[in-house]
Amino acid sequence: MNLRKVLSPQVMFPALQVADKNEAIETLVRRLAATRKIDHVAPLIEVVMQREQKDSTGLERGIAVPHGKTDAVDDLIAGIATLSEGVDFGARDGKPSRILVMTISPLKRTGPHLQFISEVVRLLRDETLRDKLLAATTAQQMYEALTS
Amino acid sequence: MTHAMTVLILQLAVLLVSAMLVGHLFERVLRLPRVLGELSAGMLVGPFALGRIHLPGLHQALFPADIGGTIPVTPELYGVAVLASIILLFLAGLETDLPTFLKFSGVGSAVGIGGVIVAFAMGDFLAVLFLPSVIGFFDPQALFLGTLSTATSVGITARILSERRKMSSPEGVTILAAAVLDDVLGIVLLAVVVALARVHDGSVDWVQIARVAGKAFGFWIGSTVIGVLAAPRLVKGLKRLQSLEVISGVSLGLALLLAGFAETVGLAMIIGAYVMGLAFSQTDIADEVRDRLHGLYAYLVPIFFAVMGLMVDFAAIGPVFWFGLLFAVVAVAGKLIGCGIPALIFGFNFKGAFRIGAGMLPRGEVTLIVAGIGLSAGAIGPDLFGVAILTLLVSAVIAPPVLIQSFRGGSGYRREDRDGDLAASREVKLELPSVAAADFVRGRIVDAFRSEGFFVVRVDISSRIYRMRQNEINITMVQRDGVITLNTPEKHEQLVRLVLLEELVELKELMGGLQAMGGAEDLGDSLVDGLLETRE
Repeated sequence: MNLRKVLSPQVMFPALQVADKNEAIETLVRRLAATRKIDHVAPLIEVVMQREQKDSTGLERGIAVPHGKTDAVDDLIAGIATLSEGVDFGARDGKPSRILVMTISPLKRTGPHLQFISEVVRLLRDETLRDKLLAATTAQQMYEALTS
Repeated sequence: MTHAMTVLILQLAVLLVSAMLVGHLFERVLRLPRVLGELSAGMLVGPFALGRIHLPGLHQALFPADIGGTIPVTPELYGVAVLASIILLFLAGLETDLPTFLKFSGVGSAVGIGGVIVAFAMGDFLAVLFLPSVIGFFDPQALFLGTLSTATSVGITARILSERRKMSSPEGVTILAAAVLDDVLGIVLLAVVVALARVHDGSVDWVQIARVAGKAFGFWIGSTVIGVLAAPRLVKGLKRLQSLEVISGVSLGLALLLAGFAETVGLAMIIGAYVMGLAFSQTDIADEVRDRLHGLYAYLVPIFFAVMGLMVDFAAIGPVFWFGLLFAVVAVAGKLIGCGIPALIFGFNFKGAFRIGAGMLPRGEVTLIVAGIGLSAGAIGPDLFGVAILTLLVSAVIAPPVLIQSFRGGSGYRREDRDGDLAASREVKLELPSVAAADFVRGRIVDAFRSEGFFVVRVDISSRIYRMRQNEINITMVQRDGVITLNTPEKHEQLVRLVLLEELVELKELMGGLQAMGGAEDLGDSLVDGLLETRE
């Protein structure tokens, strides 16, 4: 999958300052909704929280992939954020998550949101890239790290 | 006109019913390939057996032997058979894995090319040696017999390899890769031979041969390249109609168009059909098109094989029977030597080389089509057509036991560095507590991939094999009892794992919901009550 088709510097959010998982999700959803000029963010936050309640989306090595499906969006919304301080996403290795990969997709036409997440996760296996992302202070730096 | 149509419909009725029943009998009772049954059905009801009996209402035999022309088949019925052969080859093209074919430039290609060259040369040489009417290596009869020796029908081999779990062995991978090349080479060879047969006037004109061969290769390569480049764009445009029926219909129409075009430039129709299939095989709708055309295939192709059976003149085979048997033996030897030697060179031991040769033995559809084209074009007579049928029968009967026997014992590979492409694929396994649970989860995985925009097709109903494709991504899923295994290129392993993870989350929620279903007992009671309730 060509990440450039989904990502842009506008959906990269470096060094967010949040206290916990809920705040991380809410902040990232609000920032993403703003890029699409979506006013009603509550349903979006709700679906991501619901998915999180079913089973935590914290993976390993500081990565979490919060996501949800709702007809409140017309097509795939995706973005990536880094956190100044890691928060507990129930990761399998017990470590706090500092890199969040988020997608919100329509209920009926979900694809290809998992392909997007899997492509980013595949790239993030590389420790150097993870370090680069975490060190990035601007959206442009994050974008270049992921797409170069 | 009306009478001719009545005869055609009655002929189709008899052929379809007999081919279906005898094919079923061969497959289920005799454990032989279905195609042999369909062929035998044609022989049985054909003009040289039961078909010659006069039917009271029809005032003639249903399948008269003498109807003029080179074959004892009416043009109307032959037309149906030609249509069936076009569908058969279009689907064969659709099933071709072009990247695999292009990638295996090593041992697979060497085995495929070796088998084709040696088998062709031996078949051609035998004709020159034993047939008085053959005047040289470029005599149409010799060329057709050479071509008949080349085409492998890998279907039988693939089934045996799959049953014995040898599909991914070095021998299995090599056989399958070689068979793809074998098909392509066989089809190109047919193009050259058909074109040569049409211009043949007894003399060998090298300029003419080069011109004809160049035209055949040019058409094949040119139309394949154009087709492979144009098909994805065409499909992209057609997808906007959001109807797979329309896409399938249009692609079949294009196959017919290219088949007709191939014929007008002096090549065989099936070449055009195969090339169009090859072009569409690279698009993500290939499996869906194949699935939709399968119904047509299932009923028309048995008629094609039965029509080939109709053309078997038992009296004509008599004088060439021993030659036929010798030819069949040489065809077998040609494949064993031609495929075995390159296998030996490329790291297999004698056992492995023999296995590969044995896997390339079965002859099938293409052999029959080549023979049918030769007969209808007048290049070969009913006697040599009979030789082709004998070869087909001999190879189809002896290949399975030889192949099964050959796979007993140790490794057939000398080198330890097995094919790198196998290592590049990953296996993700899901073990479930029961077959029923695995069935359920498998259904959910199929839906999940569909919602990710994949085209999912069940490859084999009896063994629950699925192929999931989206653009260049190709994932297979196999369910054996309670275990679901997904094979994926390394690059897409994360996607497979994420899809499975999501399904597991949904499953957990579903199970939690069922356990929490307080009214389940009441629901059960009300269902039982209704079972024996009588209504006034």
